[in-house]
Amino acid sequence: MSALSRDAIRTMMAEVLQAQGKSMPESDSANLEEIGFRSLDFSELALRVEDEIGDELNFDAPELRQIATISDVLDFLEQLQAA
Amino acid sequence: MSAGAGGLAGAANRIITRGFDGRWDQLEAMQLPAASAVAVGDNHDAARAVWAAATGDLEVLVASRSRLTPDLAEGLRDAGLAVVDGDRVDAPTTARDATPGRVWLLTSGSTGRPKQVAHTLASLTTVAGDQPRRTWLCPYAHGAYAWWQVVTLSIAHPGQDVLFIEPDELDTWPARALEVGVTAASGTPTFWRQALYRDPDSVAALPLEQVTLGGEPVDQAILTRLTEMFPAARVSWIYASSEAGATIAVHDGRAGFPQEWLGREMEGRATLTVDDGELLIASPKRGEGIDRVLRTGDRVEVVDGRVLITGRIASDEINVGGAKASASAVRDVLQAHPAVAWASVRGRKAPIVGSMVTADVVLSGEATTAELTAWCSERLPDYSVPRRVRFLDQIPIKETLKSDV
Repeated sequence: MSALSRDAIRTMMAEVLQAQGKSMPESDSANLEEIGFRSLDFSELALRVEDEIGDELNFDAPELRQIATISDVLDFLEQLQAA
Repeated sequence: MSAGAGGLAGAANRIITRGFDGRWDQLEAMQLPAASAVAVGDNHDAARAVWAAATGDLEVLVASRSRLTPDLAEGLRDAGLAVVDGDRVDAPTTARDATPGRVWLLTSGSTGRPKQVAHTLASLTTVAGDQPRRTWLCPYAHGAYAWWQVVTLSIAHPGQDVLFIEPDELDTWPARALEVGVTAASGTPTFWRQALYRDPDSVAALPLEQVTLGGEPVDQAILTRLTEMFPAARVSWIYASSEAGATIAVHDGRAGFPQEWLGREMEGRATLTVDDGELLIASPKRGEGIDRVLRTGDRVEVVDGRVLITGRIASDEINVGGAKASASAVRDVLQAHPAVAWASVRGRKAPIVGSMVTADVVLSGEATTAELTAWCSERLPDYSVPRRVRFLDQIPIKETLKSDV
């Protein structure tokens, strides 16, 4: 199955937040801590991506970096799919 | 229990299998070597093997043909048993004298290759005293400990008839049970959940006086459902294993057993203790060579004066970012939801937190993922709330009647 687009990942991220009773801000520069997007939510998003693409993501592949904003999350998951 | 049909008090009890409807002592004898492992394809053959062993004082192991893999069969021959499958008899590869009256059971093998546990008909007969006349349903896998419990009950006590059903009859058994007049039925919680999910009206129509559960952790939701469906019946749950034997029997319709049973020593009864959250059992009905005090590998938890047996220690804990979620606790919460017929919970490898809680669910009513998530969130810490929920069309059930798929 082909990689998910940035928009598709963004939609999934909104769904994860919504399931936790939170909303997705419009700006991708929003800080994760401020919107309440925690490590459990990030992990859930990764599993949703895995289920959608039918493959396991290799988290060891990209260099570790700081993930502080929505944009960071989307960049990271895009990169993981390409890894 | 003495050998010979004359010494078997249940010889005249009626047994019904797919190929037979008659008394134990009317079964056509199966010709068996003095020590054998018998691969059976159905309960008729299994009953014939039991009857041959009981009346001939033979050494025997009875198992479904599907369980006796070539590897296992070879191991049994090495252990001195002939392997019998229909007309074929493979002689033992190790010569030794048979042990008359020995009955071998295979453990479930869920933690590796099945082990053999030595019993006798007497050690497998856990019910004593006069019993009310009953017709039992026996859905268990041929040769399993629970199967032997029903079989020995029927052999040892007058008035204990049995309807045996095969694995491929699990969908249709209620109609057959009604026709035969079943008044007592024993099964795993998964067996009961599946029956109530598939055809609750047919199950409710049965005139059951005794409902028994065992083989898996028994939760309050299924006990309550069965108690409400059969208000006139005694609803019991049994804790038993091939190694320890049947050690706990609870008849008050509640999950767990009273805390005051811990440490209690009574003649002929098992002594139950807890060490580091694990149930320990010293059982007079244990298999030969089993430790006097057996570490069961089952986790227990004391809640409001009841000791709840929640699940296997080895597979229950899910490490979510350092926090310990209990798969059985999550499963019980899901199964307590009014629209959930069955649930299975496990950990799934996940980035950052290591693993996450996920669930497979079969619904009996209407519920969305969001509703189940909210239900769990109200009752569990956030790391225990399933983050992925998969809805299945049917309750998965193995030949063991368990759902540890």
